[in-house]
Amino acid sequence: MSALGVVGGVVQPVLIVAGSPLLVGLMRQVRARLEGRAGAGVAQPWRDLRKLLRKERITPRGTSEVFRFAPLVLVATTLVVAVVVPFVATESAVDPVADLFAVVALLALGAVALALAGLDTGTAFGGMGASREMTILALVEPTLLVAIFALSVRVGSTNLGAIVSSTLHDPARVISPVSLLAAVALIVVIVAETGRIPVDNPSTHLELTMVHEAMVLEYAGPDLALVELASAMRLSVFLGLLANLFAPWGIATEATPLAVLIGVLALVVKVGVLGGLLAAGEVFVAKLRLFRVPELLAGSSLLALLAVAASFFLA
Amino acid sequence: MNLAATGMAAVVAIGLVTALLAAVVPARSAVVGVGTAVTGAAAVVAGAAALAGGSFSVVLPEVLPLSGVALTLDPLGGLFVAVTGGVAVAAGIYAMSYVDSLDLRTRGVQVALPLFVVAMALVPAAANVSTLLVCWELMALASLVLVVAEHRRGPRVASAGRWYAVMTHLGFVSVLIGLMVFVAHAPDDSFAALREAGGRLSPAVAGVVFVATLAGFTSKAGIVPLHAWLPRAHPEAPSHVSALMSAAMVNLGVYGVVRVGVDLLGGGTAWWWLLVLALGAVSAVYGILQAAMSSDLKRLLGQSTTENMGLVLVGIGAAGLFASSGEHTLAALALTAALLHVVGHAAFKTLLFLAAGSVLHATGSRDLDALGGLRPVMPVTTAAFGLGALAASALPPGTAFVSEWLLLQALIHGLPAGGVAAAIAMPVAVAAVALTAGLAVATFVKAFGVGFLAKPRSGAAADAHESPFTMLAGMGVAAVVCVVLALWPAGVLPAVQAAAGGAAVSGDVTLRLSQATGALSPLLLTLGLLAAVVVVAGVVRAAVARRARREARLWDCGGGPMSARMEYTATSFAEPLQRVFDDVVQPELDVDVSHHQESRYLVQAVEYRRKVPDRIERRLYEPVLNAITAWGGAGRRLASGSVHRYLGYGFYVVCGALILLAVTR
Amino acid sequence: MQLLYLACGALLLTAVLVLWRRELSVIIRVFAVQGAALAVLVAVLAAQENSVELWAVAVGVLVLRAGVLPYLLRRALAGAGESRRETRPLVNVSASLLAAAALTLLAYAVSQPLVALAPSAATQAIPVGVTVVLIGFFVLVTRRRALSQLVGFLLMDNGITAVGFLTTTGVGLVVELGVSLDVLLAVLVLQVLTTRMRETFGDTDLDELRELRD
Repeated sequence: MSALGVVGGVVQPVLIVAGSPLLVGLMRQVRARLEGRAGAGVAQPWRDLRKLLRKERITPRGTSEVFRFAPLVLVATTLVVAVVVPFVATESAVDPVADLFAVVALLALGAVALALAGLDTGTAFGGMGASREMTILALVEPTLLVAIFALSVRVGSTNLGAIVSSTLHDPARVISPVSLLAAVALIVVIVAETGRIPVDNPSTHLELTMVHEAMVLEYAGPDLALVELASAMRLSVFLGLLANLFAPWGIATEATPLAVLIGVLALVVKVGVLGGLLAAGEVFVAKLRLFRVPELLAGSSLLALLAVAASFFLA
Repeated sequence: MNLAATGMAAVVAIGLVTALLAAVVPARSAVVGVGTAVTGAAAVVAGAAALAGGSFSVVLPEVLPLSGVALTLDPLGGLFVAVTGGVAVAAGIYAMSYVDSLDLRTRGVQVALPLFVVAMALVPAAANVSTLLVCWELMALASLVLVVAEHRRGPRVASAGRWYAVMTHLGFVSVLIGLMVFVAHAPDDSFAALREAGGRLSPAVAGVVFVATLAGFTSKAGIVPLHAWLPRAHPEAPSHVSALMSAAMVNLGVYGVVRVGVDLLGGGTAWWWLLVLALGAVSAVYGILQAAMSSDLKRLLGQSTTENMGLVLVGIGAAGLFASSGEHTLAALALTAALLHVVGHAAFKTLLFLAAGSVLHATGSRDLDALGGLRPVMPVTTAAFGLGALAASALPPGTAFVSEWLLLQALIHGLPAGGVAAAIAMPVAVAAVALTAGLAVATFVKAFGVGFLAKPRSGAAADAHESPFTMLAGMGVAAVVCVVLALWPAGVLPAVQAAAGGAAVSGDVTLRLSQATGALSPLLLTLGLLAAVVVVAGVVRAAVARRARREARLWDCGGGPMSARMEYTATSFAEPLQRVFDDVVQPELDVDVSHHQESRYLVQAVEYRRKVPDRIERRLYEPVLNAITAWGGAGRRLASGSVHRYLGYGFYVVCGALILLAVTR
Repeated sequence: MQLLYLACGALLLTAVLVLWRRELSVIIRVFAVQGAALAVLVAVLAAQENSVELWAVAVGVLVLRAGVLPYLLRRALAGAGESRRETRPLVNVSASLLAAAALTLLAYAVSQPLVALAPSAATQAIPVGVTVVLIGFFVLVTRRRALSQLVGFLLMDNGITAVGFLTTTGVGLVVELGVSLDVLLAVLVLQVLTTRMRETFGDTDLDELRELRD
């Protein structure tokens, strides 16, 4: 465990927890401006969280521990990912966990916890959200793993630190077709996993279209605050992962204060730009019918497979 | 006589004594349960001793005519003996009170259980073809008796038994043919002689031997397309027998493939292993897809067995492919992943079947659509099933996660190794494994979330009660093994590697996992996760207003109290997946809308029926069955019922044969 | 060299997009992008070989495939009225995407011997060309609208051109000119045909041609 790893392991989670509600605020603000509204300001999600945390805790009748622990598990999985993935520093605090498969599986574990909580309420909404979320998860998994495959084949490792530093040393790789195809595939997958348009609409409360919101319908007060915080964190984690897999520049490679500061700034800028682009894109597309989503995901998994193919076509 | 030999002797002795006692003692269930568990424990000891290097070999020429009984326990066999023993321990303890229903206490059923365990423990120890085949057949017969144990429950049990009997014997015949062809090219039928002859076989003969044995062994492992018996027999058998069959017996099919293909035939050519890989990938995806659609808890678990054996075969196929292109380190890695998955699957599938049996015991139902709400009334069973589901769904910190991680590592690093075939097979295999993992998550969320959480969907589920102590203890054994495998795989990896290294690679190959392929520490991961949960809980506790939790009504849209009829069921949970894979599973849907008599605009009731038939089965088995039926129909015309006529047929044939002889001479 | 591979990646991506999207106008736009990618590919080869002839071919490809052909297609589409979507292809979109994945692997497998003949950076990319040909063929087989079939045909042609340039690095100006003219002629003929069809049947759903047999 190197000094750089420890610094990253402390700075990253703090940054992600503090910054992700701001990211969500930024994305809402971008949308609002593009749609001609004034918007509530970038800090609004934090104000919401503060308000929710002050309310009393409520347990819906007939629910079990699964319902109560799910938000904790959701935040905890994302937090672990925030600690281990090289966002700010190339070295990981806990290297044996900084594996792409492990990270993907950890994020899936959070989604599973929430789906079980949705089922645990016994309401139609909870079941519906859980069922849809699991369907999307099952279809996302192949794309994600095959895209990872494409990225890790040339490095010879699925360790995130290794992938990031190899891209740092060989920037020409970024503009190869492998990266191009894998990036497109990963973007589609990330849109699906984080529940953004066109797969899911984070601001809807219409039962025909809800996925994520349907699962968390029964949460209130501090529990809801945790769920909201966790979904914001998941969004930033995914965007940060995307940014650092394909454009890791700026990341700290040594444990000096200046390098770490640059790393933090680079991450903030990259994730902010990606979030802004995502929000701007959302203004122009409509939500897809649920049963057209598999088409989207089949396309992205094809791209991922093509990325693998390209990695030996054009090796 | 070393520890392994003593252990095997104890297995046979205790097993046979238990069977004998079961035949004579009135209070059978406790005796059989304890006896089976002790037999299993002895098998674990023997297997562990063999894995630690204490192999033995014994020949008893007088027991069996012609070639005699020969037993050898090497590390590969030892692994399977140990796994079988471990499952038997859990199942034996569990059986002590589970068999209290009337059907299961009958003498035949009770005698068959220890015999089944003994036969399963002997198969991996067999050192010549005759011994292997005799033990194999004994195992098939004992399990058949156990499958039809609850035949009074309904015709479906009998049908399951018939399917099982036919398929298992066809598989046996296939293995028999393959091995006989093999033996014909060797001096005698001992494995040592075969191993020596295996290298000298012509490619065509070796191919025939491999394909014939592969068909037989994979039918035992429940691999597509010879899986038809599995989703029938596993749900209908008593749950501890399901656990034994699903967690221990199917493994022996895998053992057979490895023993014959890798060990005796010495590796063979690339197309064998591509075939194995393809069969594995198809089985994995198809099995879990069927499981995702299923709403019968035990059937779901049975279909998930097909999936897991498919994953194991993917690993074995990859191992063979790497070995045939000279990549022995990678081959050992892939085989290690496959065998580790065998061990992990045995642990969590035992746990899941035993928990399902506990549910069946308490509610009398396996139908997920009628279960739910078991968490308050059966807390231990719910926890056990939850743990098993986590272990089965390749999520950290679960058992299957470790082995699937290893498998994916092997596949990823195989790409540069094996030329065009590997370049095409590996990405497809990764995609198949990933799709399987994703669907497995959805399947087990369905099984656990719908089956155990929320509100009870039927009276039986509402009146459920926790199972007696011995059943919980049986589950506890399996659960502890699951947790150990998930958190500390390094504890069993050396043993698994000993088994893999002995079989896959000739010569000494040491595996340096962390150096070659990156490292994963499940223990650190789990600790990190726990620490994060504690931190988050602490921060929330500090930040939140200190008021007690308040219970509140569920959001019911203002429409009065929620009832169980408003819940999502297993069928509705699987509906989106079923739509997505519409073209693959081709479900039969049937919607009946009945209207009020006064107006056809008012709907009285809507009835939705869905059946997901096994498509492969329909396409492949029905033509064969129809042909046999037609043949039988033709034969009927000869059978008029007159005894004289039947005797006459015999007479005519004898005369005809004599005339033919006379003419041709 | 990276630019060459990037152009190949773009070829592949656009072929997939043709398969993926249903909106005919989008398909035509994607096809134009593919033409541009093909032109870039030829231009990269021209820069490598330093040949004026190839540069001319690159410009020709750009004009014809990114300019003229999409323009003609768009005109055909403008006349088509409301049927602007490939609503129900014979094989549904998800399945055809998976089929494309299989075709890619097939293309890779069959073109290995070709690559082995003269291993160089350019020949490494041959499987991409073959894949585009196969995907084009697939589009031709499974689509109902005459216009999307036409795009499938042109996709095949793009693929063949790509393979040609990657293997020999210089089909020669004359040959390329001839092929291009042929393609142009074919498109014009087909366009006239679709127009006639539409005038007669009011639709360009090819399945309805089946009725002509009776």
